[in-house]
Parts: sequence; C-alpha cells; structure tokens
Amino acid sequence: MTAKQRILARLQSARGGSRLPRVESPALQAQVPQSAEACRVRFEVEAAALGVECYVESSVAGVHVRLAKLIDARRVLSWDPAQLPYAAGGLLRAPIQGTAGRTEQATAEIGVTGCDAAVAETGSLVMFSGPGRSRTISLLPPFHVALVDRANILFSMADVFERYRERIRASASCTFITGPSRTADIELTLTLGIHGPGRVAVIIGP
Amino acid sequence: MSTFQLRVHRALDDSKLAGALANVSAQLRTRRTLAFQSLPDADAVRDHARKAKLDTLRDLPAHLATFEANLRANGVHVHWAEHAEDCHRIVLEIAAQHQVRRVAKAKSMVSEEIHLNESLERAGLEVVETDLGEYIVQLAGDRPSHIVAPIIHMTRADVGRVMHDRIHTPMTDDPATLGRFAREKLRQVFLDADMGITGANFGVVDTGTICLVTNEGNGRMVTTLPRVHVVLMGIEKLVPTLADLDRLLKLLARSATGQKLTAYTTLISGPRRGGDDGGPEAVHVVLIDNGRSRLMASENAEILGCIRCGACMNVCPVYTSIGGHAYGDTYPGPVGAVVTPGLRGLDGWADLPSASSLCGACRDVCPVRLDIPRMLLTLRRDAAPTHAPRWLRLAMAGFAAVVARPRAYRAATAVLRRVLRRSAVDGWIRQAPGPGRAWTTARDLVAPASTTFQQAWRDRGVR
Repeated sequence: MTAKQRILARLQSARGGSRLPRVESPALQAQVPQSAEACRVRFEVEAAALGVECYVESSVAGVHVRLAKLIDARRVLSWDPAQLPYAAGGLLRAPIQGTAGRTEQATAEIGVTGCDAAVAETGSLVMFSGPGRSRTISLLPPFHVALVDRANILFSMADVFERYRERIRASASCTFITGPSRTADIELTLTLGIHGPGRVAVIIGP
Repeated sequence: MSTFQLRVHRALDDSKLAGALANVSAQLRTRRTLAFQSLPDADAVRDHARKAKLDTLRDLPAHLATFEANLRANGVHVHWAEHAEDCHRIVLEIAAQHQVRRVAKAKSMVSEEIHLNESLERAGLEVVETDLGEYIVQLAGDRPSHIVAPIIHMTRADVGRVMHDRIHTPMTDDPATLGRFAREKLRQVFLDADMGITGANFGVVDTGTICLVTNEGNGRMVTTLPRVHVVLMGIEKLVPTLADLDRLLKLLARSATGQKLTAYTTLISGPRRGGDDGGPEAVHVVLIDNGRSRLMASENAEILGCIRCGACMNVCPVYTSIGGHAYGDTYPGPVGAVVTPGLRGLDGWADLPSASSLCGACRDVCPVRLDIPRMLLTLRRDAAPTHAPRWLRLAMAGFAAVVARPRAYRAATAVLRRVLRRSAVDGWIRQAPGPGRAWTTARDLVAPASTTFQQAWRDRGVR
C-alpha cells in the first residue's frame, strides 16, 4: 500500500464524520448591487485607509502626466509596455522587463503595472500572472504604481472569484494586493516595505 | 513537578514576558473586535465558514482525491506523507531532483511541527526563514511562541541584540531600522534561492488551488523567484470552492491581525505556464497526515477545522499569562492544548488540557466556532485514568467513595469543618493545614460555617 492509500484508509475507518458536529447555516445577506461609481469611491476610501496613494484621472492625458510625475527619474521595471492600459507604455524609455535577470530586475526603483481587476470592499488590486506580466514587477521594487481602469473595479472578492474562476485555475498565480508590504512582528510596531513595496500608488483612469 | 509545570513557573517568573504578552494580546484583541465591525452579517459568515470546514472534514477522503486530481491537472506534483520522516524524505528527494542547494522558507506551522529545517540542514541544504519574526527566531536558535506573532515574547531590544550578535548589524532597537536590515539580508536570500518552501492556508478542491496569505511579501517572493516551489500542507486544509474560500478569508485576517485582508493573498494553481515571465518551473504539494487521521478518529475531530488565526491565544487568560513556550510544542494556546495531545498522543502532553480555566473565551472568538472547552474536557476525561498521578487517583477514588455515602460524607465534613475553623482568623483561612496549604499560597479560603445547611434545616424543625 502507498502512503496515500494508508492515509485514506485510516480516514475512512476513522469515521470522523459521525462524530463531527452538524452545522446548519442561515442564509447570507445578498450583496446589494453597487454602481460603478460607488465601487470606485469605495475602492478609493479603502485603499487610502491602507496607505495607498490614489489618483483619479478623467483623461488619458491626465493618466500620462500623473504616471510621468510618479516615475520621475526612477529606474523602471514594467509589464510588457504593450500590455499597459491607456497606452502608457509609450511613456517608458527602455524599462527593465520581467524577462530580464532577477538581479537586474531587483535594481529597479519603481514597478509599473496594470491590473486585471480591483476590489472596492477591500481596496485590493488583482493581478494574474501571464506573458509580459511578471509577478516580480509588483513585488521587487520599493515603489509600485498600478494603472486601474475604473470599469474593472468590482465590489467584492466574491465577485472576482465568480467572474474569474476559470482564469484563476488556468493561471499559475493570482494575487490580491491589499496595500503596501507590512510587518508588525517587532512589538506590533507597523513597518512598511519589509519585503515587497513600501509605497503603492494607484492611478484610476477613465 | 512535571516539565509542563516547570515551564509554567519559569514563564510566570519572567516579568518581561508578562509585559510583552499583556501589551500585544490586548492590542490584537482590540484590533479583532474593531475589524469584525466592518463585516456585515458576521455571524452568518462564521456559520457558513464552520459548515464548509466541518462538512469537508466529514467527507475528507473524497475531497482529497478530487483535490489531488485537480492539482495534477494543473501541472502540480502531488506527494503524500504519513509522518514527519516521510515528509523530510520527500522534500529531500525533490531537492535532489532539482539540484537544490539553497532554500528560502515562508512561514509554515506544519514545517515547525515536523521539524523540517533540522533535517534539511543535516542533509547539507542552506535553509533560511524569511518571515521577519521567524527569521529572528532562527537567528536566535529560539522557537516561535505564537502562531501569528512568532516573537511576541521578545522586546525590540531583544531583537536588536539577536541581529547584532548573529549578523553583526549595528546595535539598535528601532523596529523600522531592524526591518530594513532584515530586508537587505533577506533580499539576497530570495534572489539566490533554488527552492521556496511554504505552507498553505487553504487548498481549494474545486479548482486545485493553493491559497497563501502573507503581509510582508516573503510568501510571494519564495513562490515567485526560486525554480521550485514546495507546498507543505496538512490534509485538513481543504475548502470545497472559491466561494467558501472568500468567506474564510473574510474571517482569517480579521481574527488574526484585525485586517480585512492581509497585504497579499496569493492563489497558486500550478507552475509557470507557457509564455509566462518567471514563476517556478515546478510546484510540488506534499499532503501531510502526521497524526491528523488519528485525530479524525477521536471525539476531537472538530479541532481539524482550525484555520490557525491565533485569536484564541489572544483572549486566553492562561496563554496571556504563560506565553507560548510553556505549551512545549508547535501549537500553543487553547487550540494547542487540544491539537498537541491529538497529534502526538497524551503521553508527555496530558497536562496541556488542564492549562485552561474553561472560561469559554476561545470558543467565543473562534471564527469557525470550535468548541474548544468541550474538547479540553474530553481530553481531561481521557487522561484521568491513565495519566493522573497515583496519589491523585487514590484521593479521587476515596473522595468518590465518601461523597457517595451520606453517613461517611457527614462524618468527613464534620471533621474537616472543625479542622478548618481552627485555622480561621476573622472568618478567613490564610494558611490551610496539611495538604491544603498549597491551595492557600496564592489566595485565602473562606472559613466554613459553624453549622451545615442540613443541620440548620433540621434545627428549624423541617423534616
């Protein structure tokens, strides 16, 4: 018998089921549908509470100006520029990309990404891994800027799970980023940017 | 005194520990309370989460089989480990197969439970813990004392001293500076690692997905940069669907740290796909029993629904007095007092179920409403005939014989009443005679009344 067979056989004979308490669960409140505008506002409030800088731009030009200002003279690590929304890739001059060696990627001072969805209720950014969208970009640099299309802000994590079930399964990874990297291991004193970015900015475009 | 009692006394004598525990646990309690205010419908969410966990456990073999099939379909290698040694061997085989020398680990309670690091190091691998708290613990040669806040027992000065002594950072007790030192050291570890090892907070059966929550980002680093990712998970970690996962995630961070969600919630459904930039080439999942199937056969199978949030520790009057090390094993606090004897057996751990006042605070805060006091009583009952000291068993048999016979009971209480009243001053006994002395070292005993209730009843002429 293999280890698997022995474990399963023990579980079968354990009949743990018969001794576990039975639970009746009451109906959950249905989620109240939220307008796109309400979702955007809630996202901003939640993200700001986490220490995320939120910029709402009503035009593509505005997005470009904001992004250029945030990048300033920093060395950029970016998604494949062609995959950035609002044609923002055109602004980047020879950024390091996810295909570069890790050590080179680790020298970047700012990571520029889009995102696949955002969650209003928690202020989270949802990022799937994929070609041209290395997971390192939102992780290695000390500063992460994400471009968010306001149409992609869903209300809850449950909404994301419902809409993207197949994509979650098909992608190597799907990450919900909820604020900057943080630790409170030493006397519960909050320290940002312990391993991931300590500064996160979101530009919400038209 | 048992080794457990020795550890308790050592902890109670440590005033620095008492201060650290009081401060951190009070903060975590408050944060949890506030966080639940932001969860509409919290009671129903808890019921659903409890149901999801317990129903999955009831039908665990079928769920494990489906989970394995879905993992394999996603390109994940699946291994089964019956006990610690099995798991060590499997991880070493994976390391050999991928020519691994350097291992970066994210926090994993099950890896502590099976003492994996020692085994990997003996085999010549370099293993570094990358969660800040766990890193300090590793540098200090210490053990974590809380499942969420591993160095709850250390002050900032302790941390500064450990880092100064072990990795020669300039002496400081500023948490932000210490964090920066750790970031610099560990950044290189992430970049150099060949293999990342993590635990799993949940396994989603329906999609074959591993869910991992971290705040620091080390979990993302070790699942992104190294060539190989190994997931160690207990077989009880499954939830059926993403919808169940959503409800459990709503509860986990709120209960653990008072956050709505941790900074990073990572869902891993396999190795890098064709065309992906980066990500591990291979993902291995090791499904670990190590006593869980035995626990499943006991009356305490319910404890396998634990999601390791640590909330029961922060509210426990015993844990917040003695800290995690006194419990002697990986899982401290109320949950540990049930899990440790459940996984390892009562031998050596029979004292743990008594480390509780049965006040029920743990059951009240548990996000999945585990009835920990009931399980502690079950263990006490099981331990009594075999693990209580001989004198206590004899004393209890004597007590039972006396209280079951009214005449003997009346005679015994008459003697006891007289003896105790002789030691009383102003109605209080400050030092009881004989074996009762230990009881009065920490409190006074009220003197018994001069007549018994039955006597008073008879004196009133009622029969």
